[in-house]
Amino acid sequence: MLNYTNAITEEKSYSGLQMKEVKPIMKLIIRGKKREFLSAIGKSLNLLLPTESNTSSSSEKLSALWLSPDEWMIYSNEISNSDNNDYETEILLDKNISKKNLGAVTDVTDQFVMINIKGDKIFDLFETGSPFNFNDFRNKNGSVTQTILAKIDVIIHNQNKNEVNLFVRRSFSQHLFSWMNDSASRL
Amino acid sequence: MFVINCPYCGEREQSEFKAGGEAHIVRPKQPTELSDDQWAEYLFMRKNIKGIQFERWVHTHGCRKWFNVVRDTSNDMIKAVYKMGEKPPTK
Repeated sequence: MLNYTNAITEEKSYSGLQMKEVKPIMKLIIRGKKREFLSAIGKSLNLLLPTESNTSSSSEKLSALWLSPDEWMIYSNEISNSDNNDYETEILLDKNISKKNLGAVTDVTDQFVMINIKGDKIFDLFETGSPFNFNDFRNKNGSVTQTILAKIDVIIHNQNKNEVNLFVRRSFSQHLFSWMNDSASRL
Repeated sequence: MFVINCPYCGEREQSEFKAGGEAHIVRPKQPTELSDDQWAEYLFMRKNIKGIQFERWVHTHGCRKWFNVVRDTSNDMIKAVYKMGEKPPTK
């Protein structure tokens, strides 16, 4: 991806907690309601969109997060090519979804910053600033939630045990990261 | 503070939601035929019951979907939650 400047330049590490921005990661928001939409996505990406609330699905290259009954976020599992701003997935979906009026595909790569957090104190950190009950969430791999962390809207994907990906709007990312550092230092 | 059971996401804390006022207010079919008083009645006048009230809520910080809630305003007990377009449980 061209001209990508990091929103968060530092990589921080505390006992039981490591946090860093991962970039560039392709992120798309897709919206649609029709049955044809779901099957077209499945065929195009070889990835079934999760229909159960607060869950995700993933293939080798992509992860799909449930955001609402007609809205999903798709992001790349690996770092995107930094030579240009085109994404194969977006081009494919544009052709198979947008142009066929089945749904909407929006590139939100620059809108969201993905922060990868590892360690066994992730949920201790979240619990200091979120009203969400993480008890069930933390034990279920692939669970997803949209909630508030330090009064900021975030999307949290429980990728593996002791590893989550957190998506936050870019303009809030530095403040959130600084809050997380402050909070992590007091755990 | 209370917990609302979003029909799409499950139980979440109230701070994730925003209240959208009284539910089941039907827009008049012919607004041009109404007097100013009747239009104002539709547009502005809302009940403010102490007791069971039918309300609209939106899960602003979650799925961003609107839905209906039956809430007892005297003690914030939520009696029922149902999706938009569904019939209220008791009315």
